[in-house]
Amino acid sequence: MSIAQRTNVLGREAMLGPLESALRDAKGGEVELWAHRRRSAITRYAKNEVHQNALADETFVQARVVVRNAVGVASANALESGDLRTLIGAARAAAELSVPNADWPGLAAPARNGEPRSFDQRTADVDPAYQVAQIQTIAGLARARGMRTAGTHQVELVEEAVANTNGVAQYAPLTWAYLRALVLTDQGGSGWGEDLASSISAHDPVAIAGRAIEKAARDHDRAQLAPGDYEAVFEELAMAEVLRFMSLTGLTGQTLKDGRSFMAGDAGRPRFGEPVTGPQFSLWEDALDPRTLALPFDPEGTPKRRIGLVEHGVARGVVHDRQSAKWFGTESTGHAADPRRYAPGGHAGNLTMGDGTATREQLIGAVTRGVLITRFHYTNTPDPKRATMTGTTRDGTFLIENGEITRALANVRYRMSALDLFRGLELMGPARLVRDWWSSNGMGSIVCLCPAVKVARATITGSSPI
Amino acid sequence: MPLGDGRLADLVHVGAKRGATYADARAVERENETISVRDGGVEAVTRASDRGIGFRVIHKGAWGFAATDRTGEDAMKALVDEAFRRADAAASTRTKPVTLAPIAPQTGEYRTKLARDPFSVPARERIALLLEADGALNGPNARSRRASVAAYRTRKRLVTSEGTDVSQEIVESGAGVAVTAAKAGAKPAQRYDSRLTRQAGWEFIEELDLVARARRYRDDAEATLDAPLAPERPTTLVFAPEFLALLVHESCGHPTEADRVLEYEVAFAGTTFMWPKDRGTLTYGSPHVSMTADATVPGGMGTFGWDDDGVPAMRTKLVDKGKFVGYLTSRETAAGLGLPVAIGSARAEGWQHFPIVRMVNVSLDPGTQSYAQLLSGVGDGLLLEAPASYSLDDKRQNFHFSTQAARVIRNGQLEGYVRGVAFQSLTPAFWGRCDGVADDWELHGFLSCAKGEPLQLMRVGHGAAHARFRDVPIEVTA
Repeated sequence: MSIAQRTNVLGREAMLGPLESALRDAKGGEVELWAHRRRSAITRYAKNEVHQNALADETFVQARVVVRNAVGVASANALESGDLRTLIGAARAAAELSVPNADWPGLAAPARNGEPRSFDQRTADVDPAYQVAQIQTIAGLARARGMRTAGTHQVELVEEAVANTNGVAQYAPLTWAYLRALVLTDQGGSGWGEDLASSISAHDPVAIAGRAIEKAARDHDRAQLAPGDYEAVFEELAMAEVLRFMSLTGLTGQTLKDGRSFMAGDAGRPRFGEPVTGPQFSLWEDALDPRTLALPFDPEGTPKRRIGLVEHGVARGVVHDRQSAKWFGTESTGHAADPRRYAPGGHAGNLTMGDGTATREQLIGAVTRGVLITRFHYTNTPDPKRATMTGTTRDGTFLIENGEITRALANVRYRMSALDLFRGLELMGPARLVRDWWSSNGMGSIVCLCPAVKVARATITGSSPI
Repeated sequence: MPLGDGRLADLVHVGAKRGATYADARAVERENETISVRDGGVEAVTRASDRGIGFRVIHKGAWGFAATDRTGEDAMKALVDEAFRRADAAASTRTKPVTLAPIAPQTGEYRTKLARDPFSVPARERIALLLEADGALNGPNARSRRASVAAYRTRKRLVTSEGTDVSQEIVESGAGVAVTAAKAGAKPAQRYDSRLTRQAGWEFIEELDLVARARRYRDDAEATLDAPLAPERPTTLVFAPEFLALLVHESCGHPTEADRVLEYEVAFAGTTFMWPKDRGTLTYGSPHVSMTADATVPGGMGTFGWDDDGVPAMRTKLVDKGKFVGYLTSRETAAGLGLPVAIGSARAEGWQHFPIVRMVNVSLDPGTQSYAQLLSGVGDGLLLEAPASYSLDDKRQNFHFSTQAARVIRNGQLEGYVRGVAFQSLTPAFWGRCDGVADDWELHGFLSCAKGEPLQLMRVGHGAAHARFRDVPIEVTA
C-alpha cells in the first residue's frame, strides 16, 4: 500500500473474513463470534502542557457457543485463524461445563441493518501533531487571559464485526472525536467547554476555549447557596447526567423484570401507557439518528431499532436484547450491551430527548431566582426506583436573579428524582450531542442528544466548601 | 509473545538508541474465568484472556506511549515509531522536561502465594457452590438472585532502559452474591457485595462461606422491605469494615493521589483538598484516624512485587493520628512534588494503558478495643454494613452515601432494621466525628476502581475495622 493509501482502518474483509472462516469450521451447536477493534489515540494536557500522549490498538474477540441450550463464553484478543479455533474450543468447553438455560432465546437470525453513519476517514487517520495543535490553540487563548487549561483530545476508531452459525454477518466502522477544555484561574475559578462528534472537522477549538474562558472569567468570589428547591437551568451536559440514570435504572428489560425500573408497576406489571412524569418530557432511543454516534447493530448482530421510551410523560417501552425479549415474549430491539461493561438484559445507549428552540439567553432570562448548572461530577443513584440522581456541580455554577447571572456559586450537591425534575420542565433549547461524566471517559457508553432546559424546581441539598 | 522473550529488551534498546532519555516495555498477559448463576440456573461460564505490549519513552522531555496486541517485527517497529511520534508532538508544548525520581535498578520475580489454584478447581465444584448460594438467597420476596465466582491471573514483565527487569505472576480469587427483594407496596430492597476479592487462591472463596453470607443477605433484604423509616436526626453510626473500606477508598485514597495535585486528572477526576502545603498540619480527622498505604499486605489486591515504574513494594503513612502526612506517588509525580520515592503506586490496568497513580492497599489502621466494646458505647445509633450509592465532589470533600441495610443499635445491642438511610458530609468533618476504632481489622478488595482517560479499572485493597462516628446528620428517604 502506498503512503497515500495507508490507513488505520482494517476494513470489512480483515474483520469479518476471519470470523466467517472460523465459523465454517465450527462443529456442532450454535456459535457466535463478535470482534471489537478499538484504536484509541488520546492526548492529555494540564497546565497548558501535554503530560500524556498515548495510542493503544486492541482487538477484542468474544465467542459464544451454545450446546443444548447451555452457554459458554470465551474471549481473547487475536483474529488469527488458529486463535479463533482455540477460542471457539474454549467457549465450547465452557458450554459443556455449564447447564442448560431454560430461557435461552437462540442466536440472532440474519437481518438487514441501517448503513453506518458515524464514520469519517480523516478522523480514523488522525496524527498526533494534529491533536496537539488543537490543544495548543486552546492553551494559547487561555494563556492570553492569564488562565491555564487541562483536558483531552481523544480520537477513537472502532470497527465491529459479528457473525454466527445462523448466517449473521455484520461489519461497521465508527469514529468519534472529543475535544475538551477545562479552563482554570488563579482565583479558584473554572469553566468547561467541549465538542463531541464523529469527525475532527466538527471541532472548533476557538469556540470551545471561548465557552470555557467565559465561564472561568465569571467564576470568582463564590457564594454558598443554602439548601432548598430552586428554579434551574441545566445545560446539555447536566441534562445528559440525569438521563444516564434514567437509562441505567429504568429503560431496560432487566430492570423492568427485577421491578427496579420506574416503568415497573406493582406485581411486576409494566406501566406502559401510564403517565410517569410531566407532559413536556419525551425520550426515545435511536441509534440510527445521523446526529448521534452509533453502530447500526448490537453485539448479537441484531439491527438497532428506534424505540419510544417516554412520550409526553407517558411510559411507552424499554429496550431489549435477545434474552430480555424472550422473558417478555417480544423481539430484541437491537440493544444488547457490550458484555464487558454491562450485564445482559438490554442497554439504552443512544438517547434522544425532545427539544425546543429556546436560546441560552432565553433559558436564563426565564429564571427569577435559581441556579445555572454546567455539568456534574461523580454522580450516582441513591434511589434507582425513582430514577433519582445525586451529584455535585462543577466548572460553571452560577446564581441567576431576575433573568441574569449575578454571581458565582460554590459547587452544589443536587439530589432529585428525574421524574420529579421533568414534571417542572418549562423551556428547552435545541438538542446537542453530549455524554455524561461517566461515559465521557469510558465508564459507560451512553450518548445523548439532549437540550439545555429550564425547570421550575431542582433540589439542592448542600455545597462544597468555597 | 512469551514474557521471557528478549524482545522487550530489544524495544528498550531501540528506544535508547533513538535518543530516548528513558524507555520501558511492559508485556502483560491476563486471563480470567467467571461462573455466574442467576435465579437457579447457570447464567454463564466465561473464559477471557488478552495479551499485548505497552512501550513508553521520554524523548525531548515528553512522554510518548504506544501499545499493541499485534506481534511481529512490523508491529514492533510501528510501536516504536508511534511512541516517538507522540513524544515529539507532546514535546512542542512542554516548558519543563519530564523527570523521574531516582530508584536503583530492580531485578527479580514476584508470585502470589496460593494454597489452591482457583483455575484448577473443577467447574462442577464451583457451580455446585453457586447453586447452593443461590438457593440460600431465595427468600419469599426474592425477585432476582445472582451468585458468581471468578479466578484471575496476570503475568507481566517490565524492562527499562535503567536496567530494571522484573517479572510478576499475580493470582486473585473473587466472589459475589446479590439479591433483589420486591413486593407490592414496598420499595425494592437490594443486598449485594461485589467486592469479595483477595490476592489468593480458592482457599479465600472457602473462607468466605458464601452460603452463610447468602442467607444473611436474604434476611437483610427481606427485613428491609418491611422495615420502618429511620428517624431523620443526627445519629451515632457504627460502620462495618465493608462500608469503611469504600469510605477510605473514596475520601482518603483518591485525594492523596499525587497526580491530582499536579492537575493531571483535573478535567475528569478532579483535584484534592489535601495540598503539599498542608502536609503535617491539615486536620483530616480525629486522633483515632490513621491511614496507611501499603503494597506489601499479604493477600491485598493492591499488593505486588514492583509497580509499573519498577518501584519495589513499600508502605507509607497517609494520615497519622488525624493529620494528613503523605501521598501516593509515581516516579514522575514524586519528582514533580520534590519528594523522594516513599511508595510506588504507578499502575496500569493492562498492557494497553499508560501507568498512572493508583491506590495500592489503603487502610484505616486498627484500634485497640473490641467490636463489642465499641458497640457498648452506643446508646442509640445505627449499624451500617454495606454501601449502596456514593458520590463525591471534584476535590473529594462533599460526599453522599446511601446504604443497603441498617440495623438499630440500642444500649450496645443490635435490634431490628430501618430503611432509607443516607448521609452527606464534608470529609474532614466526617472523619472528625470518629471516636473509636475496633481491633477486628479485615481486608477487602476492589476489582474496579475507575480513573484515567481513557478509563482504567484497577484492583485495590482496603483494610478496616468497625468504627464509630458520633452525631452524623442523616437523610432519610421513603
